[in-house]
Amino acid sequence: MKKILLLSILAVSALFAQVKEPIEVPYISYEIKMGEGFGAVQANCLTCHSFGYITNQGKQSRAFWKGKVVKMVDHFKAPITDEDSEIVTNYLSEHYGNGK
Amino acid sequence: MERRDFFKKSLAAAGAVSLAGSLEAATTGQPIDGRKVSKISFPEKRALITYSDRPPLLESPRSTFSSVLTPNDEFFVRWHMPEIPTYIDTEAFRINVSGLVNKDLSVSLKDLKADYEQVTVTAVLQCGGNSRSAFTPTAGGIQWGSGAMGNATWKGVRLRDILERAGLKKDAEWIGFNGMDNAAYYETPSFIRELHLDELDDHVIVAYEMNGEDLPYLNGYPVRLVIPGTYSDSWVKMLSKIVVTNEYQKLFFMDVAYRIPDNECECETPEKKFPKTKPITKMNVKSFIGYPTNETVVHNNSHIVVRGVAFDDGTGITGVKISTDAGKTWQDAILDNGELGRYSYRGFRHTFKPNQQGKVTIMSKAINRAGEEQPFAADVPWNHGGYKFNGIDAVTVDVI
Ligand code: HEC
Repeated sequence: MKKILLLSILAVSALFAQVKEPIEVPYISYEIKMGEGFGAVQANCLTCHSFGYITNQGKQSRAFWKGKVVKMVDHFKAPITDEDSEIVTNYLSEHYGNGK
Repeated sequence: MERRDFFKKSLAAAGAVSLAGSLEAATTGQPIDGRKVSKISFPEKRALITYSDRPPLLESPRSTFSSVLTPNDEFFVRWHMPEIPTYIDTEAFRINVSGLVNKDLSVSLKDLKADYEQVTVTAVLQCGGNSRSAFTPTAGGIQWGSGAMGNATWKGVRLRDILERAGLKKDAEWIGFNGMDNAAYYETPSFIRELHLDELDDHVIVAYEMNGEDLPYLNGYPVRLVIPGTYSDSWVKMLSKIVVTNEYQKLFFMDVAYRIPDNECECETPEKKFPKTKPITKMNVKSFIGYPTNETVVHNNSHIVVRGVAFDDGTGITGVKISTDAGKTWQDAILDNGELGRYSYRGFRHTFKPNQQGKVTIMSKAINRAGEEQPFAADVPWNHGGYKFNGIDAVTVDVI
């Protein structure tokens, strides 16, 4: 009897969440290099993830950045025009490129 | 892997490395270490190394790995989608099981905790891209140091017991898992994972508790999948949907992401990617030093106790060796008693007394029951996704 009682108390208490209200994920401001084409990045690339998510890929070649923009459009269905894709690729290879 | 395969594999790896060297230098070294934790801490977490806020990507600093169980508030965080639920109604939450089952289920947290056998397993959770910054040329993906891993005691219910309750139909073959995180656009594919029934043994659990506490939100509260021995890409967080099918679905996150060259050395060169790929699945043997760190300063002739962790896919760690002479000679570290089971970290410690001022590098190398051991960092072959780095760890301290 005692044991059953104990069990049910445990079961009930475990149903309360440690955190009882919505959590708040903080916003972080990332250092962003200003330059030609940044407007297009801001307009097209920050809806689905932060700027940190893009730049923490390391310094990369133009082909890499071009490939990523294509991947965003083809696989993740980002609505980005060809013109903006070109501008974003230029911006990223200029400011986050490895010279290749 | 059979021992025989392993030798074949290391031969093939050696060949590939020299080949790569003669084309463009595809090299590996020590991953980036010593990044500072951010000033801002995330909910239920201490300040950690922060790559992104949306989706949240947090890495544990090296000092975390001097303990065998990773504290929940230091445990790394990796989400794929920016829209993660920030509140769960524990009364309303359900895991829905459907597809090729005799009876659809809608399992509440209460059911999960009261109607099923409760089990625990201590298991390492490691991102397949952990230590990716070791690879040159830079492999695509977050440039993690080595802190995208952690070890916890998970409590929950066997997946098999849930599936049994639902009753699998004869032609059931694949199980799809989906969590509650969402992309910003409806059309973006969901982060669904699919496992073949054969991959699901009794160790796979649907966990609601981590180290005796609720899972932190950022680690998948209220329930997540735990697949001991495998990389974390299929440990679906905020698991809310299980669908049983007889045919493999074409899924972006299964067919394109988290894959490595399907050859013996699992390697390729930047110019010549290997055309056939396979999923990363089982973890390879690895060790990591939690103390000292690259910032540590010690006195000459004082005893320092090197502490760290070692693990593999559950085959079983049999030893960790320490070198202080660039790998020329190795000494056995003392392993903990292994009571947390084969999927857990094994803690190791080793006393070392420097007898000369200046820099000294301490290396650790783990070995498992199958005879597999960590290669030197420079001998880990390159792959374009930067997955599965398991080079010998090295920490350089200042002796004054
Ligand atoms: C429709 C939503 C969406 C938009 C808009 C978008 N991305 Fe992404 N992006 C994603 C998703 C989804 C991922 C993969 C997330 C994961 O696997 O963690 C991703 C990942 C990435 C990565 C990481 C590398 C990789 O291959 O996963 C880079 C770099 C990136 N995006 C760059 C960009 C750039 C540059 C733009 C603007 C041209 C952009 N993204 C716009 C959805 C988007």
